[in-house]
Amino acid sequence: MKKELRLMKGNEAVAEAAIRAGADGYFGYPITPQSEILEYLMEANPAKTTGMVVLQAESEVAAINMVYGGAACGKKVMTSSSSPGISLKQEGISYIAGAELPCLIVNVVRGGPGLGTIQPAQSDYFQSVKGGGHGDYHLIVLAPASVQEMADFVDLGFELAFKYRNPVLMLSDGAIGQMMEKVYLSPQKERSTVFPDWATTGKPATRERNIITSLDLDPNGMEMHNHKLQAKYNEIREKEVRYEEFQTEDAEYLLVAYGTSARVSQKAVQLLREQGIKVGLLRPITLFPFPTKRINELAGQVKGILSVEMSAGQMVEDVLLAVNGKVPVKHFGRMGGIVTTPEEVVENLKSKIIGG
Amino acid sequence: MAKIRGSIVVNIEKCKGCEVCMVSCPTGTIAMAKEVNGKGYNYAYPANPELCIGCANCAMVCPDGVITVYKTKI
Repeated sequence: MKKELRLMKGNEAVAEAAIRAGADGYFGYPITPQSEILEYLMEANPAKTTGMVVLQAESEVAAINMVYGGAACGKKVMTSSSSPGISLKQEGISYIAGAELPCLIVNVVRGGPGLGTIQPAQSDYFQSVKGGGHGDYHLIVLAPASVQEMADFVDLGFELAFKYRNPVLMLSDGAIGQMMEKVYLSPQKERSTVFPDWATTGKPATRERNIITSLDLDPNGMEMHNHKLQAKYNEIREKEVRYEEFQTEDAEYLLVAYGTSARVSQKAVQLLREQGIKVGLLRPITLFPFPTKRINELAGQVKGILSVEMSAGQMVEDVLLAVNGKVPVKHFGRMGGIVTTPEEVVENLKSKIIGG
Repeated sequence: MAKIRGSIVVNIEKCKGCEVCMVSCPTGTIAMAKEVNGKGYNYAYPANPELCIGCANCAMVCPDGVITVYKTKI
């Protein structure tokens, strides 16, 4: 079937893609720069067309726990928020990860800490990939760099979530959420009527009770559960690494960036190549699992790596671990809601890596 | 040729404060308001309305179709 072409905001694309992916429920709470997701879904009113439930909860905490409940019933459910709202949701996210339930969480990041600003930032990297909530858990983190990817990753996110019974986080930012681009929308999928065998859909006589819980008071049982989770995360690390490379074949220097920073860095690569400096770009698409292996391989080829991120330097730690001391690694980024410019990236690569 | 004066109207609630119009304005008519709209963005407004020549650059570059331009002959 032919894909429909539309001009949309990133946030609107997520909302439309959710309807088309056959999602069963969306529970959200408004916060700039993410409100368009909720607004679009409310206006589209998919309850009348696909039967998808859209609800504005009384708070972020309520929204994530509604997702917990929906996911426990084997439904395709999602929520979205921006940085301060995602902080509020962390308890629920940890519970969902502990209870091994699939769901999609969208974070349209704004500058922090605290209430911060409402402009784009990438300072939620640690929160997204290192945990965020309590306990040994990981989310699968997808980082879109275009409106098209914001739409595509809804379907991919649900697919991965159900494959591994693990919450998936889409780590976007205020720039991609707010900007308009053309986007090809996939055809409408039917909502699923068959539910996974672990779902709590009522106990028939033919099977045992399904129990969804993140609590086990027996420490031995809890340790076994943790081993099971870690085995799952290792499988994800093995199989689900996604990244994109731009002009890395003959690169002598490497930029590593995701999301909006990757778009800025791609322009910086062009500017540097015009000046005769051979630079490449690696864009991680999954932040957990991180493309550690590929960055380590590239570190054997290049003379230095600059990690570009709109933060004080968070992803650079994972790049350092991947490079393992082979070549110098430095960070460059603006903070608090300011988007880096390609010229700044060029200048910083020259001063921190080439000259330094 | 008749001289033309312009005037812009900003749909404040739809503005996300990207500042693209401000940069595109050749006469410095547009500035960003100190106040914010319902979403918390500093919105664009005609700070110097008498300078507007009705070129409609701002309306053309606005990614959200926030600005309407009116032209009058004087």
